[in-house]
Amino acid sequence: MQVSEMEQYRHDMLPKTGHDDLARQHFVRSFKEHLVKKIHGGNRVAYETRVKPAFEKAHRRPPGSRQEVRTVMTKDPHYRMFSALLRTSQELMWSSTQRPVERQIDELADKARQSKGAGGSLTLDPTLEIPRYHTAVDIHCQPGGYHNEFVPDDVSAGAVYDRAVFIYAMGQMGPENADMGNSLIAWLKANRPEFRPSRILDLGCAVGHSTVPYARAWTDAEVHAIDVGAPMLRYAHARAESLGVPVYFSQQNAEKTNFADESFDLIVSHILLHETSERAIHNIVRECHRLLRKGGLMIHAETPPYKGMDPFDAFMLDWDTRNNNEPFWCRSHEIDLNALSAWGGFDPAKKFEVMSPSAHQVAETRRSHVFQGGDFGGGGVWFLYGCEK
Amino acid sequence: MGASSKLPRKAKGERPYFFEDPAVDKLLAMLMALAGEVSVLRDRLDTVERLAQEHDLFKQTDIESYRPSDEVLVARAARREEFLSEITRIVQAEMEGQQLKAELDSYDEAIDLVETDFKR
Repeated sequence: MQVSEMEQYRHDMLPKTGHDDLARQHFVRSFKEHLVKKIHGGNRVAYETRVKPAFEKAHRRPPGSRQEVRTVMTKDPHYRMFSALLRTSQELMWSSTQRPVERQIDELADKARQSKGAGGSLTLDPTLEIPRYHTAVDIHCQPGGYHNEFVPDDVSAGAVYDRAVFIYAMGQMGPENADMGNSLIAWLKANRPEFRPSRILDLGCAVGHSTVPYARAWTDAEVHAIDVGAPMLRYAHARAESLGVPVYFSQQNAEKTNFADESFDLIVSHILLHETSERAIHNIVRECHRLLRKGGLMIHAETPPYKGMDPFDAFMLDWDTRNNNEPFWCRSHEIDLNALSAWGGFDPAKKFEVMSPSAHQVAETRRSHVFQGGDFGGGGVWFLYGCEK
Repeated sequence: MGASSKLPRKAKGERPYFFEDPAVDKLLAMLMALAGEVSVLRDRLDTVERLAQEHDLFKQTDIESYRPSDEVLVARAARREEFLSEITRIVQAEMEGQQLKAELDSYDEAIDLVETDFKR
């Protein structure tokens, strides 16, 4: 079976879908694949054959930056059509995943309330202030965001997110959406075979897609995971329990946690940094430094930075910043990681940036092998930014 | 499920429009929503056909070899014509308007007509 037809793993918390719910979600996935495979490529054709030549004629040189590409590409009819369709696919994705969740919202909350079995825990903090970078806009257009609650003990944000991520990545992150965690672990085991963490912290864990793999990879280790969104955490906890994996979830802001100094060997995050802010990213790195033991590792998995990238590719990868409610996407992809590490207290000499191959090898044959807006996971590699303390 | 449990459908944050006229973006969004519903219907029909086969009601090959009666042909043709008329309404309307222009040069003229047909 090809990746495009592969289905998500049906753990106990996964929202039930009726016939037409599922058909609607399959349509969105097909629509997204169609955009990636048949429509996206036209942007480069438009750029090379008419947009760039027109720019060169006017300026006697090609566009030198993604900003310059932006000024001309956003006027191109194909780019506009592609963008309007991609934005629409995102909206249809949320709507197709929200509808079934809305119908079973109370049932899911009940199920989560009763979850147990694996020995993990859930600690919520209703007094936690939700950071402005989460309340200003709903990140990646998920209506209601990560933190809003609509019924008592609401898990709907998590239930919608779990299903939507699978559709968003078109299955390229595997049946449990675990590819980022698995890829980081695979890189660690290949490159630091002697490294055996006993206490692990996952920052901005959402529903625990990337958290669960750590508890499986190092079964002796104690795995903690934090997020600011209570509905995400309730769902994450119930999901992990149903998968038989013990994780200690707590509602905390990664900028300032209640964990003791030097209490972790490994601190990770997966697509967290780009959903924060300039101040927060600095605070997070500093907090990682405080929490790590000497010799411990901080590793953040993201999509690759723009530096050294062709201006057109960088422009396309930047699509989400303005068009998918990811306001910090751009800046987080251009930040000076040496300076950031040093500010956080790390020795920049112990900082590393690597491209780590996707662990979800089965997906290889169908990947587009390019980084582009709307094709999350299509690149086949993840960018890892790390520091050793 | 109570009305209070309704989830918000609109994501907080200004929606970008890519064409000079946002109506183009809106039409595309409507078109793709419609395409989605057609796809859902097609999947549902596929389910019906497969279930019919599993339960020995009829086979998919029966569908292929089905020869509609004259009565069915007429009814289907009429339904298709109605369907197409609905879809191409905007195109037809343009030409219908062209014909009516013979009577009235512009819509402004119609307003002018009703506003100025009485002088005290």
